[in-house]
Formats: sequence, C-alpha cells, structure tokens
Amino acid sequence: MSLNIKKILLAILLAGLIGMLWIPKSIAQDDLMKMLEEEQSKEPIYTIATFKATRMINGQTIETISKNHLNFWMSHRFGAVNSGFIANFFGLDEAKIRLGLEYGITDKWLIGAGRSSLEKTYDFYTKYKLLRQSNKFPITLTGLAGWSINTMETGYVMESGAEMRFNDNLERFGYWGQALIARKFNEKLSLQLMPTFIHYNKVEHSSIDNNLLALGFGGRYKITKRFTLSGEYYKAFSDPGAYEAATGKEYPYHDAISIGVDIETGGHVFQLHFTNSRGMIEKHFIGQTVGSWEDGDIYYGFNIARTFSFEKGAKNKDK
Amino acid sequence: MKILKFLIPIYFLIGTGYSFSQTLFGTSVGEVSFYSDTPLEAIEAVNKKSGCIINATSGELAVQLRVTDFNFPNKLMQEHFNENYLESEKYPTASFKGKIKEEVDLTKSGNHAVTAEGTMTMHGVSKPMVVKGTINTSGSEMKLDFKFQVKTEEFQIEVPSLVVTKIAEVIDVTGKMILVKK
Repeated sequence: MSLNIKKILLAILLAGLIGMLWIPKSIAQDDLMKMLEEEQSKEPIYTIATFKATRMINGQTIETISKNHLNFWMSHRFGAVNSGFIANFFGLDEAKIRLGLEYGITDKWLIGAGRSSLEKTYDFYTKYKLLRQSNKFPITLTGLAGWSINTMETGYVMESGAEMRFNDNLERFGYWGQALIARKFNEKLSLQLMPTFIHYNKVEHSSIDNNLLALGFGGRYKITKRFTLSGEYYKAFSDPGAYEAATGKEYPYHDAISIGVDIETGGHVFQLHFTNSRGMIEKHFIGQTVGSWEDGDIYYGFNIARTFSFEKGAKNKDK
Repeated sequence: MKILKFLIPIYFLIGTGYSFSQTLFGTSVGEVSFYSDTPLEAIEAVNKKSGCIINATSGELAVQLRVTDFNFPNKLMQEHFNENYLESEKYPTASFKGKIKEEVDLTKSGNHAVTAEGTMTMHGVSKPMVVKGTINTSGSEMKLDFKFQVKTEEFQIEVPSLVVTKIAEVIDVTGKMILVKK
C-alpha cells in the first residue's frame, strides 16, 4: 500500500520536474497580468447605481448620496386626470407640492428634510446604508427613519373627508421606519423590498390603529442608458373591517401603486409618473392614500432631482 | 525509494530557483489620472489603486486598474462615467500589457527613458499602443512615470451629442507609480 503511494508520488514529482523544464525562462506578460488580477480580486467590487436616484417614485430607494453632496428635490402631484378638461384641465390646474433637500454626511449616511403642501407637513429623515451589494454579497440594505409634523389648523378636513382635531402639538407628529432591501440583478433590472412601520400619534378614528405595518415592492428596468421604467407598490396591513364596523362607512384608504419613468440628463434626474397617491412622504402615501386605480383616481406627477457637489475641486456644472 | 529522497530536494531547488531568477517590481497602489479639457468644462479623476508589475529582467510589464476606482470630485460624474461611458459593470477593468523596447538594465540605479509597446484594453476594446515614460530605479525601488493620450472614439466610448462640448475627444492620461522589488 505504502509502496503504491510512493510510486504515485514519484510519478507526480517526475512529471512536475519535466513540466518545469518546459516552462520558458521568463515570466511572460500574461503571467504578470494574472498576478495583478489575483492581487486585485481580493477586494470586493461594489455594485453601483442600483437605482438612478434616492427616490423610486413616492418612496425611497437604497441609494444614498455621496459625502458633501446636496440633492434638491422638487415634486408635484397634480389633480386627478379624470377631473375633467374644462373644470380642471385634467388635473393640471391644481398641484400638491413637496420641496426637499438631502445632504450626504458620509458616502453611506444622509439626512434630509422637506415640506409638503399636503396637510402642510414638514418631514425630517435619515438614511444609512448598512450593507452593500458586491461580487461577494447579494444585496444592499439601507435603513430609513423619518419624522413628520403636521402644521394644519386644528379641525381641518382631511383628504378622506374626516375632521382632524389636535389637542396638543404631540398629536401632530408621525414617525416611520423602513428597511430597504435591494438587489441589482443586472445592468437593467433592480428590485427592492420595503418592510415599513409607521406610527401616527393621532388618527382620525379610534377604529384605526395608530401603528401600521406595510410591505412595499418596487423596481426599475432600464430601457436605454438614460431612460428607465419604474414601479412601486405598497401593501398596507390595515384593518378596513374594524373601521367599517365602527363607522358604517367605507374605509377611505387604498394601497399606493405608482408607475413611472426616470429620465437622466447629466445633472438632473426627471421622474414622471402616474400614481393614486398625492402624498410624497411615507406617512401619507403608505397609510393615507385616498385615490384608487379602479375608480380612476390617477394623479400625474413628477419629481426633479438636482445634485450639487461641495467636494473640493468640483464645479457644479452639468456634465 | 532512495530516488524519491533524492528527487524532492532537487524539485524544491529548481522550483525556488525559478522565482529568484526573475527580478519583479510591483505595486497595487499606483496612481493613474486622466484629464479632459474643453472650453466648457475640465474633468479630472484619479485612480489610486492601480496595479503594475514590471519584470526588470525581460522588460515586460503589465498595468491593470478597476474602472470603478476612478475618483471624481463630483460623484454624479463618477456614476455617469461608470454607467454611461465606460460601462464598468460590463467591462470592469482597463489594462496595458507590453514590453519595454529599449535595451536597458532596469535594475541599475538611475533614470531610464523607456518606451513600452503593447496592447491597451478598455471598454472591452483592445488596441496596440506605444506609451512613453521614465523609470527611475534606486535600489529596491522603481519610480515609474508615464503619459499618453486616448481617443474616446477609438475605444468605442460614445459621447452623446448633448454633452459633446463638455467632454474632450482626446483624453490625457498620466501615471505615477512607485514599484518595489518583490
């Protein structure tokens, strides 16, 4: 037995020796290249540009902005497209607006703030990229936390038709947390999953829970280098039955569904879309979307993002 | 089995002898930068993780870098550079492999003006290329400087007409590397 092993070993060694004599004396260019490749393959290659912007349509994406970069967001949601030509010019006569700014503290961490004309609401949020997709890891995970303040006069009438009274300022607050999980499958296709938790300090009726869980799905498909299709759906785990039993009225809120396109022109990203929601912050569009696609409550809207770099040596010109 | 006992030392002797007979200099933190200048805009980016190996005995050399390692002051430009122009997901690396034409002993201390002839590959396109540079050897270190120009068109890098006035047709590329004896 041991003799056999020795024989095999001998054969291997002899073969190796002959092989060595055959190797040309110099290390060729290709071998140098191989050595470089080996060296470089140790570092993971991170996936870039899973999505075009920090927002998909209404909701956020896993993307954060780079350190010392500032993003200005201007978003509009017009009136319902079925609101008539004479009466409302297919909805373009009126618009809900959100203006927002976000700033990259590090390449992975951003802070943002905005103001929506819907319910005159201020929102503040922070986003942190916890895990990054690379050739060694399958997904990117970003955490989002947000806070909003409703500054409407007490006793105003909500979009759902209900009257909202605030007894103190604390009741004006809403909070949300979101885990954004995305994978860029290839150059064109990226998909995202968004488990969400929202807490409303005050809801319009006692039969509506102050806490709301939701699960969002979204994705994009690049048609060309500058033109991208996107879609987003948030399933809210609310309890319409309890509301209907308590009030005898139909539950006013629906799941938010949006489809759109992203057009990139160097310094700007234009997002044009159709959605059944007029809210542009999580607490509005996930939990309080009044429109429904079946009834034709479809709103045309757009987001425009402009990025400025405050990094040394950068000039803020379009590329 | 005496032959086996005899063979093993020879095996290692020859094996190790091979790696000593070549004088390799290398780095994985070389700097390669490029510069695009038009009246409308100057764009500059630097890659500080470029790899390079020179075989000082034969004059053969290889340079390779990851396209995503190019650092732009404006990160939006960096994203466009990777996504739209160099398509770094499809073509992650750029490289040059070639041989130094001059008959110089690179292991000797001093300044050597050199010309490397070889193949440059980027954006999935390979082209024969001649690159001029200098090598300054001092002991176990070798300082390599080079400069060349790249025509975007030659490597099928498409620049849309919208931004054609902002991106130069000919890009200046410079390299600065300190290689150490391996």
